[in-house]
Amino acid sequence: MSRATRAGNPSRDWLKRQAAGVRGWHRAAVACGLLAAMATLFQMGGMAWVVDRLVSHDEAPGDVVVALLVIGVALVVRSLAQWGQECCGIESGLRVRQQVRHALLDRLAALGPVRLASRHTAGLASQLVDQVEALDGYYARFLPQMVLAAAIPMLYLVVVLWLNWLAGIWLLIAAPLIPLFMALIGMGAQRLNEAQFQAVTRLSGHFLDRVRGIATLQLFGLAARSTAEVADVADDYRRRSLKTLRVAFLSSAVLEFFAAVSVAVVAIYIGFGLLGFIDYGPADELTLFSGLLILMLAPEFFQPLRALSQHYHDRASALGAAEGLLVLLDGTPVEGGDERASAVATNSLAPGEIALEAIELEHEGRGQVLGPVALHVSPGEVVALVGPSGSGKSSLLQLIAGFAAPSAGRVEVGADTAIAWLDQRPLLIQGSVAENLRLVAPAASDAELERALCHAGLGAWLAAAPAGIHTALGERGVGMSGGEAQRLALARVFLSPAHLVLLDEPTAALDPKTEQLVIEGLRRLAAEGRTLLVATHHPAIMGMAGRLYAIEQGHLVAVTAVRASQGAEVL
Amino acid sequence: MRALLELRPWLKVMLERRRRLLLGAALMLVTLASALGLLSLSGWFITATAVAALAAQAAYLDVFTPGAGIRGFAVSRTVARYLERLYNHDTVLRLLADLRTRAFGQLVALDGRTLSRARASQWLNRLTADIDTLDNLYLRLLAPPLVALVGILTFAGLAALFLPVVAGTLLALMLPLWCLITLGCAAWGWRHAQQRVDGQEALRVRTIEHVDGLPELTAYRVLAEHRRHWREEEATLLAHQRTLGRRAAAGNALVTLIVQASALAVLVLAIMAYQAGTVSGPVMVMLALGTLALGEGLGGLPAAFTQLGATQRAAVRLNRQTELGSKLVGESLTTGGAAPSLSYRDIGVRHAAHVALQHYSLALAPGERVAVIGPSGSGKSTLAQLAVRAFDPDEGEVRFDDRLVADLDPESLRARIGYLTQRTELFHDTLAANLRMGSPEASDEALWQVLAQVELREWAEGLPQGLETWVGEQGRQVSGGQARRIALARVILRDSPLVILDEPLSGLDGETAARIQVTLDRWLGKRTALLLAHDRSALPPCDRYHQLMP
Repeated sequence: MSRATRAGNPSRDWLKRQAAGVRGWHRAAVACGLLAAMATLFQMGGMAWVVDRLVSHDEAPGDVVVALLVIGVALVVRSLAQWGQECCGIESGLRVRQQVRHALLDRLAALGPVRLASRHTAGLASQLVDQVEALDGYYARFLPQMVLAAAIPMLYLVVVLWLNWLAGIWLLIAAPLIPLFMALIGMGAQRLNEAQFQAVTRLSGHFLDRVRGIATLQLFGLAARSTAEVADVADDYRRRSLKTLRVAFLSSAVLEFFAAVSVAVVAIYIGFGLLGFIDYGPADELTLFSGLLILMLAPEFFQPLRALSQHYHDRASALGAAEGLLVLLDGTPVEGGDERASAVATNSLAPGEIALEAIELEHEGRGQVLGPVALHVSPGEVVALVGPSGSGKSSLLQLIAGFAAPSAGRVEVGADTAIAWLDQRPLLIQGSVAENLRLVAPAASDAELERALCHAGLGAWLAAAPAGIHTALGERGVGMSGGEAQRLALARVFLSPAHLVLLDEPTAALDPKTEQLVIEGLRRLAAEGRTLLVATHHPAIMGMAGRLYAIEQGHLVAVTAVRASQGAEVL
Repeated sequence: MRALLELRPWLKVMLERRRRLLLGAALMLVTLASALGLLSLSGWFITATAVAALAAQAAYLDVFTPGAGIRGFAVSRTVARYLERLYNHDTVLRLLADLRTRAFGQLVALDGRTLSRARASQWLNRLTADIDTLDNLYLRLLAPPLVALVGILTFAGLAALFLPVVAGTLLALMLPLWCLITLGCAAWGWRHAQQRVDGQEALRVRTIEHVDGLPELTAYRVLAEHRRHWREEEATLLAHQRTLGRRAAAGNALVTLIVQASALAVLVLAIMAYQAGTVSGPVMVMLALGTLALGEGLGGLPAAFTQLGATQRAAVRLNRQTELGSKLVGESLTTGGAAPSLSYRDIGVRHAAHVALQHYSLALAPGERVAVIGPSGSGKSTLAQLAVRAFDPDEGEVRFDDRLVADLDPESLRARIGYLTQRTELFHDTLAANLRMGSPEASDEALWQVLAQVELREWAEGLPQGLETWVGEQGRQVSGGQARRIALARVILRDSPLVILDEPLSGLDGETAARIQVTLDRWLGKRTALLLAHDRSALPPCDRYHQLMP
């Protein structure tokens, strides 16, 4: 097996490392497997002995009752041990999956929203849920079986050699060829498996994307074309899977072949030996007892290896999954890493204060987006960022929120428990309005939730909704209009005690009346002494701001309210 | 039992490939028969030789026929098994591709109102996980138990030729075992298997939420709180998986116990018969070893059947999806490309308990440009959806060129309408592919031209990969304003006689918006246009303005 994966394969090393936490369960599974093998030996020996006594020695059934009892006990022990082995394996698999999922979540949190923006959410979810599931078989079945596949044939081989060394040699000749073949085949299977996992991830990403956009596909008359596209992707998946399976099944076929041929050779050898046709080696020592026992042990000799080859598929799946998971876990190094979090909150600044020093930001494929930028905002100040869309306003807000680390420079914000954030695409989770709000304030009372909704301009909506704050919302806010969804997200800002409020186009999709309500709310926030940093095109919000900045070619330029609103007047 | 009826439509789909299925099952049977033959013939052969040697009659025993039989079974077992596995997996994957395409085809035919009621990531789960779960149906749940049953009955029949009491014992032990590890295991794992499916879906939805919501969750410092929810979902899922695993393991242990005990019982009975002189020694051993080989056909059943509940759950969900809504059908529209008229008469639309439109009328003459101004939630988007027949109104009628929209085939109607939806939907694909949705045959030159119209040419030229730049999920790789303009460009490329723009300039800064207004005014020209906004200043100049109040 060791040749299948050359030393230094990172996926394999990673898989091995994960096993450290479940070593106890692994050992218990192996111990149960060995016990089952011993019991099998007793059972087979007992059966061969009984036949020999009765056929060759003409004994009465009454003389072999004890042997029959021993066989019965061995059977029960064998079944129980087999159950124990499976249960211990299951436990290993469960624990490793749990462990890996937690590591992945840690990693997602460390990567932050900006770096994840280019990733497909459904693809990531499929990695976290399904790809991690693919690790199960490796720990639950393959690892214990790997030990057993070496130990159990040894045990049986010793017995067979003792009974008849020539028959033992027949088995011995077949056995070492098996791992060699399997290693060769396994190497190919693994590579194919990796490709297949990429296909699964792409498949799931493609589906969610097309399903989300079904309304648009219908509008552009692309229903038939995208259905055909889905068929192509599914067929591509089939062809890839089949390629993997063709090779994966080959390894077990090779093994089956050796197992079957060995049984046949041993059977014919024993038969001819008993007849006295073979006059070399220990053939003349053969009895019905030894002959039958060897025959029954021959398939059992290969059984652990056959099981291993079935689980070889588990190993290949796990390696394929590990490859994908490793890209996520170790892929792009997080520059700044944990520093980034500590650089954000500094005790030397007051809550709500921001200090940016010589910030620069580069985006892969888009070059330098920002910088150098320096900015200081005092607690309670209202600062507006204006200028054309795409100039980097959102990027600057993201840096301050700590979603990404700057390529150079320092971002500092006052020590605080939270930053209130409002995006152009508000987060709405599956659940009620109340659940959506309590996401940021788990302890808030119903009255507080209702007050926050009113402040955000949703008072009328709330009064009209029969279920009130318990109205259920679908994913992406189905059941609310775009403006209502944005106001719901705004209500979160009101609920949060955060001193620093970062707003990215808070009025982008609102009608003038609601806009007015929201702006009043923002004034209230400012009056409470919160710091507001707003990216906006809206003249009224610009009017609220003490200072205005435009971002031109990545640099902050102070502008006056008059100049800024001239540009935005037309809106 | 009634719950299993949910599987019927899917069994029907599978039966369309009847010949493949039968051939696959036949290969399975050949594999089992070879295993059985190999072991029982070997046992017979060895005992026969031993008996012959004891009786010093070696010369009279034909050793070549059984020898060849043993070798033949050894080869046929290997070959049949390999072919069976490959062939059957190909069948299953073909079925899955069929089912997937069918499911998507059904979704894409649903009307807009039903669509918005379903949820995107649940659909994803339906389309992939549910359909994948159904692969259990043939390869794990249908063929193997039948093959095992045929194996048991055939072997018992064979045994009856030699010793009826052995056949009776075999049936008395193996048939209840067969029932226990199929129906018994199914009932035993039913609830947990269903909850495992639900648990996996809940975890997936939570994970998508966790990733999508990372900005808010991070900023508000509630990541840990959300993760606690996530962890609870995970713990539930693991608990169900553990229970299912243990029960399947118990089933496997039971198979070992009963099969081996049957072999022992057969051996004891055969020995008694042998001593009574009813059967020969070789037949006695053959019967016992053959019973052992039967175990091979039963191995995978407990694990497969404890999961039957999950398969049924998947089938139920897929069935509900096909029942979701009816497809909108109608006559195809054949008129030419001249600017059409559009009229709404006495329209009433209700979304659940909420009234979106009531007694609303509006008429657009050919070539007329009309703005409908109203706050969000006043029903503007509903007007647009009615025009493209995303769904039909509850009351009143919509006419396109004096033809009732409710009588028209939506596809041919939509081919004449360029509609910019309020929500920008970009696909995870290249910039060019997103634009070409508007006009699949558009040249690169046409794409650059339309990018210039929406003021994105300079930006796109600055991109290292130009038109081939990948725009992320929901257009996240581009800013909100850029995504809006890409969506607008797509509609412009469509070059349709009727244009509906819902908040075309939202998210754009003043200067860009002003320049695009001028471009739009020129481009709209003599087309019939329905423009929707919350404020008239957010639109190019129109012939008429209508106020819509909620």
